[in-house]
Amino acid sequence: MDIKIINPLIASFTEILPQIGFQSAEKQSISLVGSTLNYDGVLVHISLVGILKGAIIIGMSLDSAKHFASKMMMGMTVAEFDSLAQSAISEMGNMVCANACTQFSKAGISGLDISPPLLLIGRNGQATLPVPQTIAINFLVDNIEVKVYVGLIQVKS
Amino acid sequence: MSVIRVMVVDDSFFSRTLIAETLRSGGCEVVGESDSFDSLLETYNNCKPDIVTMDIVMPGADGFECSRALLLNDPSAKIILVSSMKDEETEAEAKRIGIAGYVQKPVDGELLINVIKNILSPDALYEQLIELGLDIFNEALAQNITRMTKTPISFVTMDTFETKYVSQGITTVIGIIGRHSGSMIMDLSIEAADKMVEVLLRRPSKNREEVLAMVAELANIVAGVACSMLNKKDKTYSLRVSPPSVFYSTNTEIISPNLKMQASYAQTTFGPIFLGIGFKKGAASWI
Repeated sequence: MDIKIINPLIASFTEILPQIGFQSAEKQSISLVGSTLNYDGVLVHISLVGILKGAIIIGMSLDSAKHFASKMMMGMTVAEFDSLAQSAISEMGNMVCANACTQFSKAGISGLDISPPLLLIGRNGQATLPVPQTIAINFLVDNIEVKVYVGLIQVKS
Repeated sequence: MSVIRVMVVDDSFFSRTLIAETLRSGGCEVVGESDSFDSLLETYNNCKPDIVTMDIVMPGADGFECSRALLLNDPSAKIILVSSMKDEETEAEAKRIGIAGYVQKPVDGELLINVIKNILSPDALYEQLIELGLDIFNEALAQNITRMTKTPISFVTMDTFETKYVSQGITTVIGIIGRHSGSMIMDLSIEAADKMVEVLLRRPSKNREEVLAMVAELANIVAGVACSMLNKKDKTYSLRVSPPSVFYSTNTEIISPNLKMQASYAQTTFGPIFLGIGFKKGAASWI
């Protein structure tokens, strides 16, 4: 997978997060993780179909997810990762991925579509994305660690 | 629904005749025809159609200019482009103008009629999808299990899965894109998947990767077959599936905050298989 494929997603992430209550969204590091990744906490899963196919996963620990949702809800206390917090996190995933499609379109990759987000909450889990290699981007969003996994492949049109 | 009244705009006499015949065969009434901008508004205002089919390339004012004039004259006018041209720029321009749909020439009669019906009653197709969706996905799973393993299968419909579902071990998620986007979740235990691999390969599985790969492939086939079946019911669904993502963990909670899921449990000789399906309503009538 061409590493440049993640640029529209990084652009989207850093553009959307300040619009939903965050001061900063900084990219910390990028790594290649193969098709399998371990998770512990909350994942937002969104599929993508078009010239690029695959999935984007946004992951964070359960505590980070509560903290993240609280920030999105203007500092409201989030003691439990309840349905309101779940909805907030999944809406963030939806906005980031929908905006990423717009960014891809600006980069000449148009016609991409996304599925509605699904949330997975688990411990010591393993996810296998439908691509040989996944790119993991570590972000620090107002001191909350967020991982974005990009597993996309280009399909011949 | 009463008879749909259509006006046909095309500079070619042959095309107008062909489209008009197609519409009549589909049960519509052709209430007006126009070959250019000159007669467009007068014909429209006289016949007051439910919907207008519009060619793009015409001498003088093209289909876009004619559509703008029609929408200025009647902002509620519903226009479908019917043209041999179909590229991204043309589609984008049509969307910007406010054109409701797009069908490529040569016209597929069934598709044109479906697009017209969907524009005039946008919820009908979604309601059909919700009514048929789970049964069709169940059927696709049943077909594959019985064909591949020669074992029986039956279904127990669950209450709509609105809050969360706790994984039995292996969860496959497939995104669905099209007129209505959605998701399919298939979930089963590692033991059930192991037993299935043993029947399929006629030997025990070598490792977990082999088992996960089989589950991913089964989900991929089920989603692909089911979406093809739905597309055959109505081409305007235009459903396509993403490749599967597989999650392995016991007790992972799966939550669909923005999408109501319908779900069933397939009872198989290997163990229960959970199948969850959900589609977003959306309002697209674009084809």
